[in-house]
Amino acid sequence: MTGWVLACGLALLLRADAAAGEPVRIDFEPTVSSAKAAPDSSLLVLAASSLAEVLPRLADAWRRGGGAEVRFSFDATSRLAVQALRSPSADAFFAADREWMDWLEQRAVVREGIAVAMAANELVVVVPADASPLATPAELERFPRIALAGENVPAGRYARAALEATGVWAEVADRVVRGGSVRGALEWVARGEVPVGIVYRTDAVAEPGVRVAFTFEATNHPPVLYWSAPLSASRAPESTDSFLRFVVSEQGRDIVAASGFALVEPSAVQALPSVAVVQAPAVASAIRLSLMVALLATIAGLVPAVGLGWLLARREFRGKALLSTLVMAPLVMPPVVTGFLLLSVLGGGTPLGSRLASLGLPVPFTILGAAIAAFVVGLPLYVITVRGAFEAVDPMYEELSRTLGAPPRRTFFRVSLPLALPGIAAGAMLAFARALGEFGATVVLAGNVEGSTRTIALAVYTLLESPSGRSTIWVLVGASVGISLLALLGFEALSRRQKLRLEDRHGH
Amino acid sequence: MATDSSYRLGLDFEIPLASKTMRVKLDTESRAIAIVGPSGAGKSTILRVLAGVERRARGLVTFCGQRWQGDDGPIVPPWLRRVGWVPQEVLLFPHLTVRDNLGYAGPSAAAVEETARLLQITELLERRPRRLSGGERQRVALGRALLAKPKLLLLDEPFSALDRPLRAELARVVGEWCAERGVPLVLVSHDEADAEVLAEQRWHLSDGKLVRE
Repeated sequence: MTGWVLACGLALLLRADAAAGEPVRIDFEPTVSSAKAAPDSSLLVLAASSLAEVLPRLADAWRRGGGAEVRFSFDATSRLAVQALRSPSADAFFAADREWMDWLEQRAVVREGIAVAMAANELVVVVPADASPLATPAELERFPRIALAGENVPAGRYARAALEATGVWAEVADRVVRGGSVRGALEWVARGEVPVGIVYRTDAVAEPGVRVAFTFEATNHPPVLYWSAPLSASRAPESTDSFLRFVVSEQGRDIVAASGFALVEPSAVQALPSVAVVQAPAVASAIRLSLMVALLATIAGLVPAVGLGWLLARREFRGKALLSTLVMAPLVMPPVVTGFLLLSVLGGGTPLGSRLASLGLPVPFTILGAAIAAFVVGLPLYVITVRGAFEAVDPMYEELSRTLGAPPRRTFFRVSLPLALPGIAAGAMLAFARALGEFGATVVLAGNVEGSTRTIALAVYTLLESPSGRSTIWVLVGASVGISLLALLGFEALSRRQKLRLEDRHGH
Repeated sequence: MATDSSYRLGLDFEIPLASKTMRVKLDTESRAIAIVGPSGAGKSTILRVLAGVERRARGLVTFCGQRWQGDDGPIVPPWLRRVGWVPQEVLLFPHLTVRDNLGYAGPSAAAVEETARLLQITELLERRPRRLSGGERQRVALGRALLAKPKLLLLDEPFSALDRPLRAELARVVGEWCAERGVPLVLVSHDEADAEVLAEQRWHLSDGKLVRE
């Protein structure tokens, strides 16, 4: 009943928003439902994130000329390609490079030989809006960090190709930090976390926080071409074809050009080469790093968790509810939000962050950042468990200890702590398991840097972007599941031991 | 009996209990008193106030002229009061052996052995509390309190889990132990025999009032 009322309310809201004359539909799962549920009414288009500004304009113009409604799902081409293969429910695909289009053709997700180059982009070097300029690739060598898109994301691969062609790659390779997409890399530069980045021109001009320092010569990297193709699974092939034709029509090309893209001649596109540098992240390094980060977070959390757990279990004070809420917050907040807040406090541009950096302990993009993210996200479970362990200890043990001459501190170390010890160890196990699974806060605070912040979770995420990463994924997934389950088993065993420890009246 | 005429225990405090406020007024120079009365009357709470672990009491507790408790709660903390408190709910530290429980307050190893002999628990010394019977546990808790060299002994139903012959014998042992050292005793019990053997003065607690019998 309640659900029905809600649905009606939602429908009314949607009706209010819908353009006149368009059918109203309610999509509870907007990315999958459209084509099957309502053939020939609206189109679902998967598109590279760098087209997020221009494609809606094209769709608007097309609809005004009699076309259907178009909905978009924007993401990195690599992730969209995997999605298109997995759940074939979209109508058209716009890729930011040829290789992923080929990959889809080979799997018959798009029909062979049907992809069309619809626009071109340029690769530019950006710096924060208030930074001093640079003019040549060689000058990149003076920056401590360079932000690029992920290595399997087209923009990331083009950028690497450009750095190789200009001869600076070898020098800067170990200073590269990878955002997930172009937007991620751009955001870091705009926030001043990374002093320089390589992104697409169209993204750079849309971001007021950065300015373009210079543009790479087109000969230094494979052409950045956007390809469009209808998907085989489309339920509305005619409508889809009509939209794709519109995109390369005279009117469509005007819109594309007005958005800062370069135009391509349809004849020039067939023989272009593609870059094929899909890299598999090192499995061993990811596992080792995960264990190290989780261990660091667990060790660092021991004293705070015991202190906070004891305080919350045994003391009444003003602000106790507030303290408890603050400690527990990372348990319920989206880890990405936690990561963002941490970055706002510990980022390179913040007072605390720059102080740490001057002490030789920079946080962003380092293993320290990964450990801090894991520490913060794991702490609530740590504290909850430790608090429970202290609460399970009858306060009369502590009272007795005091009457036997032991002041509070001695009582804590001789009675409270030993009695809660198995529970504290159980909390450590749980925090370790959580730290191992940490992803969202890590990727925001520490990025995805091979060898220093790419833990198992991030490596799996990276492999999902790569067509050839499937087999490697299973190794990492196995390691992840195995280690996590072991940690949880340890937690169970220690929790049981905690109960046993407090059972002193066996013979009563 | 080694008497010392300066001994005096004074109680004049209030404490909220579950149903009502208990008003405790007691002034005695007797070194062996028993507090008797129906269960739930608050007898154990009086011992908790004396031990210094009860924070809700408001009013005076004076021990030999020393103010242990004032209108704002405890003044002398429990670890400085040197009381031998054996609560009714006998709690031995479960992570320590019987020997380490007895030695908790730091007596010499010889003292531990001697007290164990006195209370007939020598053969239990290496055991964990979990493996003791109720009567054995009571004796260990009692021994632990005696070994803390108390200036005041607070016993809450100390022999309830013991059978008759042992009970009488231990009451005698404790009585002698107190008498030899001049350690005053406050006993909470509903057992007439215990009170008979150990106490020279009886106070009755009921309806939130403490009255000398």
